[in-house]
Amino acid sequence: MTATTAETQRKAPVRPLLLAKDHAVLILLAAVIVWLSIASPAFFTSDNILNILNQNAPLAIIAAAGTFVIVSGNFDLSTASIFAVASVSAAWLAVETGNPLLALAAAPVIGMALGALNGLVVASLRIHSFLATLASSMVYSALAVLITGGALITVDVDGFADFGRGSFLDVFIPVWVLAAVVAALWFLLSGTVFGRHVFATGGNAEAAELSGIKVDRVKVLVFVLSGLAAGIAAAIAVSRISSGQPQAGAGMELQAIAAIILGGTSIHGGVGAVWRSVAGVFLIALVGNGFDIMNFNPQLKDLVTGLIILAAVALAAVGRRSR
Amino acid sequence: MRQAPGKVLAVAAGVALLGSGCAPDTGSADGEYRVAVLAASAQNGYNQAVYDGVVSGAEELGISVDTKILDGGFDSTTQLSQLQTAATVGGYDGVIVVPHDGPSLAGAFPLANSVPVITVLNPIGPDVDDMEPQVEGVASTVAVPPSDAAARQAEDVVDYCAELDPCKVSLLVGSLSSPLDIARRDAYQGVLGEHGNIEVVSTVEGNYDRYQSLSAVSNTLQSNRDVDAILSSADQMTLGAELALENAGIAPDSVYLTGGGGTTEAIEAVREGRWKANYLNFPVSMGAAAMEQLANAMTDKPVETVVNADTVGPDGVEPYATRETLSEPAAEDFTGEWNG
Repeated sequence: MTATTAETQRKAPVRPLLLAKDHAVLILLAAVIVWLSIASPAFFTSDNILNILNQNAPLAIIAAAGTFVIVSGNFDLSTASIFAVASVSAAWLAVETGNPLLALAAAPVIGMALGALNGLVVASLRIHSFLATLASSMVYSALAVLITGGALITVDVDGFADFGRGSFLDVFIPVWVLAAVVAALWFLLSGTVFGRHVFATGGNAEAAELSGIKVDRVKVLVFVLSGLAAGIAAAIAVSRISSGQPQAGAGMELQAIAAIILGGTSIHGGVGAVWRSVAGVFLIALVGNGFDIMNFNPQLKDLVTGLIILAAVALAAVGRRSR
Repeated sequence: MRQAPGKVLAVAAGVALLGSGCAPDTGSADGEYRVAVLAASAQNGYNQAVYDGVVSGAEELGISVDTKILDGGFDSTTQLSQLQTAATVGGYDGVIVVPHDGPSLAGAFPLANSVPVITVLNPIGPDVDDMEPQVEGVASTVAVPPSDAAARQAEDVVDYCAELDPCKVSLLVGSLSSPLDIARRDAYQGVLGEHGNIEVVSTVEGNYDRYQSLSAVSNTLQSNRDVDAILSSADQMTLGAELALENAGIAPDSVYLTGGGGTTEAIEAVREGRWKANYLNFPVSMGAAAMEQLANAMTDKPVETVVNADTVGPDGVEPYATRETLSEPAAEDFTGEWNG
C-alpha cells in the first residue's frame, strides 16, 4: 500500500465527518423531523408546522439577531430583560393611550435604545459584554418591575391582539415577521460590508481595528440589533397574550444563546450564520412539540433536549478533530 | 443562569437585613412589631396581594406593625437565606412566608432565634399536603392541601363528563419538577382514573405562565382537537389554554375550562361562561389571616395551627366558583382579590 493510497483511505471517511461538523444541526433537525413524522400523524401537517413557527417566532428573532453579537465575540445576557421592559411598556402604553399601534411600535424602539445602552457600555467602558449585560439585565428587570409595580397589565384595547394573533394568507402574522427579520439579518450578516466587519471583529478585534474597521461602532451596532430584535419579539408576545408582566421572557436569553451555539456558531466569535441559529431554535422547539403532541412524560423533556444539544456539539467536535 | 441574579439578591437582602439591625432586639418594646414578609417573588401579583393583606390585616387588628417584603426571586436558596437572616440578625418579631419550595425551606429550621413563622399558600416541610406545622418554629399554616383542591377540580370534570364517552381530558400543570404540582397531577389522575369513560389524552406543563401554556396547549391540540376538558391548576395557564383554543378555531365555551387562583380575569371568564369553573384563592384575606395568627403568636395568645384558606374569603363566596355560585347575591359583586 503506497503512502498516497493510505492517505486517501484515511481521508475518505473524513468527508462525512466534515459534513457532520458543518451541518450537525441540519442533520439532527432532519432526523427529529423524520422520526416525529413517523411517530405521530399529527406532526407533519401544515397546521402543526405553522403552529411551531408561530409560537417560536419571538425566540427565533432574538436568536437571529443574537448571532451578530456572538459572531462579533460578545454575549448579550440582557435580551430577556429587554423583552420584559418592552413588553410591559407596550402594555402600559396601550392601556394609557388606547392606541395599539403606538404601543406596539414602542416596543422595538425601546428595545433598540436599551440595546444601544448595552453597546455603549461595552464599547466605551471596555467592560466584558458578559458582565456588562449581566448587570444591565438586572437593571432592566428592575425597570420592568417598576413600570408594572410587580403586577400584570392586562390590555383590553381593540386591535392590540391583531399583531400577535392575526393572520395574512392563512399564515400567522408573527411567521411573516419572522421570515422578514431572518431574511434581512441573513443578508446583513452574509452579504454586506457590515457583516464582514462583524466577522472580522469577532475573529480578531485587534487585527480588525488595525485594518481600519471601527470595532467599537460594530460592537454598538450588534447590541442595537439584539435589542431591536428583543423589542420586536416582545411586541409579538405581548400582543399575542394581551398582557404585560415583568417576568415575561424569563430564561429566553439562555435559550437564544443555546440555540445559536447549537446551530454551530462559534462561542469564540468570528464564525457563524443566521440560518444556523434559526435551525437551532427549531431543533429545540421540535422536541417540545413532539413531547406535547405525543403525550410523553414532560419530566423527560429537558433530558432529551440536553441529549440532543450534546449530540449536536459532539457531531461538530468529531468533525473538527478529523479535519 | 437565572439563579445568578437570585443569589446576588440573596446577598443583597442579607446585607440589607444586617444594616437594618445588627442584633435581634425587637421593636415590640416601643409598641411596634417588625414583620418580614418573605415573598416567593415580590414581582408576582399573588405575593403582592398576600403582602397587601398582611398590611391591611395589621391595620384591622389595630396594632402597629412595620412590614417589609423581601423578594425570593422564585429561588429556594434565596428564600432560605432570607429566612435564616431574618431570624438571626434581622431584628424581626415575626415572619410570614409564601414559600417558593416548602420542602426545601424546612432546611432553615430550627431558626437561630425563636421568631414565630406563619406560612401562606404552602406548608413548610416534606409533606405538601400536611397543613399541620411540620417543623419546629412554624406556628401556623394558612392554606388548603393541594391534593384536596386538585381532587375537587377533577370531581367537577367527572360531573361534566358524565354523559360523554369517551371524555377526553387534557391536564395542564405547573412544573413537574415541583412536589406541589406532582401532588396535583397525581390527584387529578387519581380521581379521573376511577372513571372508565374519561381518557387523559395529555399532560403538559404551563409553568404558571400564559405564554408557555399557550404553546403547550397549542401543541397538544394538534393531536387532540376533540378535547372535551382542559383541567388546569392556575388561572395564568388557563388563560393561555383559552388563547390556544381560539387560535385553533375552537370556541372556549365548547370545552370544559377551569383554573385555580381566583384572579379578576378568571372570575370574569366564569361569569361570561367562557370557563366552567374556577378554584378561588383569596390571597389578600389569606395575608390578613396570617397576620392575625402572627399577632397572636407575638403576643402569646393562642394560635390556630391550621387556617383553612377556603374559609377566609368574603362571606357567601364559594371557593369553588361556577357561574351559578358567582351569581348568588353574596357573590355578585365579588371580582377577585388579585390579578396575575
